[in-house]
Amino acid sequence: MSPSFLKISNLSVAYEQVYALRDFSCNVEEGRITALVGSNGAGKTTFLRTLSGLLEAKQGVIEFDNADITYLPSHKRVEAGLTMVPEGRLIFPDFTVEQNLKIGAVSKRALGQVEDSLENSYKIFPKLDQRRHQLGGTLSGGEQQMLALARGMMACPRLLMLDEPTLGLAPLISDAIFEMVVHLKQIGITILIVEQDVNRTLQIADNAYVLENGVSIMEGTAREILTDPKVRESYMGI
Amino acid sequence: MDSLLSPQLLAAAMITGVLYALISLGLNLVYGTMRLLNVAHGDLVMIGAYVAFIAFSLLNIGPLVSMFGAALICGFLGWLSYKCVFQRLLSNGQLLSRLEENSLLLFFALSVIIQNLAILFFSADRRGYEYLSAIVEIGDVRLTGARLTVLIVGAVISAAVVFFLRFSLFGLAMNALIQNRDASAIVGINVDRVQMSSLIFGFGITGLAGALISMMEPISPVMGFPYTMSAFVIIILGGLGNLWGGFLAGLLLGVLEVYGVALTGPEWRSVLVYGIFVLILIFRPQGLLGSGKTAR
Repeated sequence: MSPSFLKISNLSVAYEQVYALRDFSCNVEEGRITALVGSNGAGKTTFLRTLSGLLEAKQGVIEFDNADITYLPSHKRVEAGLTMVPEGRLIFPDFTVEQNLKIGAVSKRALGQVEDSLENSYKIFPKLDQRRHQLGGTLSGGEQQMLALARGMMACPRLLMLDEPTLGLAPLISDAIFEMVVHLKQIGITILIVEQDVNRTLQIADNAYVLENGVSIMEGTAREILTDPKVRESYMGI
Repeated sequence: MDSLLSPQLLAAAMITGVLYALISLGLNLVYGTMRLLNVAHGDLVMIGAYVAFIAFSLLNIGPLVSMFGAALICGFLGWLSYKCVFQRLLSNGQLLSRLEENSLLLFFALSVIIQNLAILFFSADRRGYEYLSAIVEIGDVRLTGARLTVLIVGAVISAAVVFFLRFSLFGLAMNALIQNRDASAIVGINVDRVQMSSLIFGFGITGLAGALISMMEPISPVMGFPYTMSAFVIIILGGLGNLWGGFLAGLLLGVLEVYGVALTGPEWRSVLVYGIFVLILIFRPQGLLGSGKTAR
């Protein structure tokens, strides 16, 4: 187990002149769940979008498995095993469920076992099996989130980044998503999760970072952060 | 009325429809994947037509061979414009957001340049060549061999293109890019390569269609503009970026145009095409098939 599976050093990201993330450093350990919490506009989504290559870093270094990936295009990152399940799901509305899943395996590392992965997805998400030929755009929010997760899994990731996976979902479905995240960890996938449900996220996470206005203000084990009075007051309303 | 039911007219409508479908598919690919408003699209038809004309009159190569040359040359132009201009613009978030408007101006300028270069080199005269001009009779239908060939070759190539886009992984990736750029990047699609291929492919099939057209009609440096207009009408009719919708709309506009002209007269052609355009924009801006982007 290498301690620097994903290592971010002094990362800054800006939209035009406005910094959304400033001098942020963090470590994601292999086989663990790392959580990133903070209020809206703290820079969490910016961070994940930068990790997946949708935004360009202004300064800093992103290393994945000891290779510098700071300026790698998105598809190369997926090929290296870094996959994002984005906020808002971004499934393809005009594709069927099956096409959505298949396109999730478009990268070289996953293309070979597309049939196995597909079968596996349907086993984990029987709902998707039932809706195989339905268009992605006609699914409910919860089903779309399942599809986005399953599509992320189709890429055979080593590190899965989840951006607000339970946003806007009914409690019962949120439960299922959290269970799924734990299951993913158990089968050996490293998780980096950004979530507005701070309490539940910290309960399943191993390590956590707290972001505020684009700056990291606290880091530690999830348990430490969970019991920190300031965090409890600011993010959990306790 | 009898003439309207004649298979003769139906054949004419199918020829126009197949060519429209191919040409508009090229435009739709370029618009769909990159939001580039290529108002020089019809000029690719003209370039393809001149390639076939030159190949035939100077090198004695038939259009059925030179149409692939036309596709290659237009595809090369697609590659060139991607490498010189669009690759940089598309990779920059700020420029990307203004690309749609900017591309309109850029392509308009290109169109003027291309047409004037063509006039410079080939003069503004209409030209043509004789190829398979003997009449072929199939049942009640009488066609020149050239028109029959265009129909068959056009249909085969259209089918091949549709099949490729529908069932290949590459077609799936193109379709994904048309639906959502960010989502395509994060699932691992090489967006840069798909964009480049769409330009090459879109330009290429349009050039090929131009070579086919040169077999049946006189060509001139300004022949492209009506095709640009028709292609835009078609992709809006089918829903912008909706490849299948556009393809069907191409066939449909071919039928509407040929039957409309048969009912009224050739002088009404433009009125018909633009009339349909205006009606769609008023009543169904999202296109006949619904999904796809709304025309603005």
